[in-house]
Amino acid sequence: MNPRLLYRLALLGLTASLFTSCTTAASRKPATAASVAGLTRNDGKSAAPAKGDDLDEYAAESIADPLEPVNRVTFWVNHQLYTFLLRPVSKGYEKVLPKPVRSGVFNVFDNVRFPVRFVNDALQARFPRAGQEAGRFLVNTTLGVGGIFRVSDKFPALADVPAADTAQTFAKWGIGPGCYLVLPVIGPTSVRDGVGLAGDYALNPVTWVGFFYGSWAWTIPVSVSDTVRLMPDNFSAYDAATGNALDRYLALREAYVQYRRMAVSK
Amino acid sequence: MIPRLLLLLCATSLPALHAASDTAKARLETAVNEVLDVANRATSTSALAKDLRPVLLKSISFEAMTRRAVGPGWRQFSDAQRKKATELFTTLIIRTYSAKFTPGERPRIEYKSAATPAPGRVEVPTTLLYQGSRYEVVYRMEQSENWRITDIVIEGVSLIANYRTQFDAQFKKGGAGAVLASLTQTLDTSR
Repeated sequence: MNPRLLYRLALLGLTASLFTSCTTAASRKPATAASVAGLTRNDGKSAAPAKGDDLDEYAAESIADPLEPVNRVTFWVNHQLYTFLLRPVSKGYEKVLPKPVRSGVFNVFDNVRFPVRFVNDALQARFPRAGQEAGRFLVNTTLGVGGIFRVSDKFPALADVPAADTAQTFAKWGIGPGCYLVLPVIGPTSVRDGVGLAGDYALNPVTWVGFFYGSWAWTIPVSVSDTVRLMPDNFSAYDAATGNALDRYLALREAYVQYRRMAVSK
Repeated sequence: MIPRLLLLLCATSLPALHAASDTAKARLETAVNEVLDVANRATSTSALAKDLRPVLLKSISFEAMTRRAVGPGWRQFSDAQRKKATELFTTLIIRTYSAKFTPGERPRIEYKSAATPAPGRVEVPTTLLYQGSRYEVVYRMEQSENWRITDIVIEGVSLIANYRTQFDAQFKKGGAGAVLASLTQTLDTSR
């Protein structure tokens, strides 16, 4: 068997076993409908004031983190990796390619990712949104010259469609986030979102390139480009979450959990 | 009978809530415009933090922010420790907030209709368009003498909730002293 596939299966098996072990602990604080607008508190309860004593407005724990010691180590390794290798790559990318080119590259890969959004909208029975996605793909691929220009933004019916992903589908099916995980290189995720990433990976045509050309040699440069185009945004989000933090690990964890809670509820 | 009475009660209190959210929203818009004017003139991020301070002190309730970020442990802070924590956290928040601006580049902000989760509280959802990206930003406000911001939620991430977890960990380690020490250390290293 292909060793990469074996590795992925092992990872999937590991996450699946973790999933069963900590879903109950972490799913006790589900997001409410009001969190669509980001209007709820950290713990997802309604934001009614506690008269006289508002100290516990922001209840603290938001996700189970039984693997914290291991996660902290992975987080530290990732931080070094980002600082000394990936950040310079990202800076270089921003330096070498002018902004219009980078935004073209970004848009092309985003457009290609269409099946991830389309299939998940369908799996969530959000057919109007799936239709919007199909419309966006059609408009951007044709008028937008292969997705280089995001022409769909000019059509009010096609602008601002929240992007669906596999983890969001799991959440809609009632699956809680499970415990918090820090993956090597990728960084913060939860068991559910990690499995979701595997689903997104399988649905992303970038992954299929290897099958079309019968060689993984094609997949690598395409996947690398897809990763690099996201780096400037990812680092800016990372900095926003960890800058001026008392504890970078906790700051990133909380930011991730809150951000995903909103993304999932959209 | 009871539902009708309830309806009547709701109907009579609605205009008041509406007026409150309008006042809060107007206050927020003024504050944000003031901030953007200052940001527009600033030459560097550190200068921006200094210039923004008086503007932000007017429109943000840093005391409420600090109290809630610390949580129930706040009861065990002495008056002097509370004052110190508020002072340090204020500087940290202003620094964090200022770092989000690139001097000279003005974001466009769309204000949506405000929600009133409770009397004396208003939440104003906004969309911020900045450097080609859209961000959902919710301002939570409360009325004391006037309307002040008590939390800023960017893309679902609450500023206060984020610090709450970190303060909690410090408080569990060593009480108020540990919270103050870690705040001081963060301010020193992030300068």
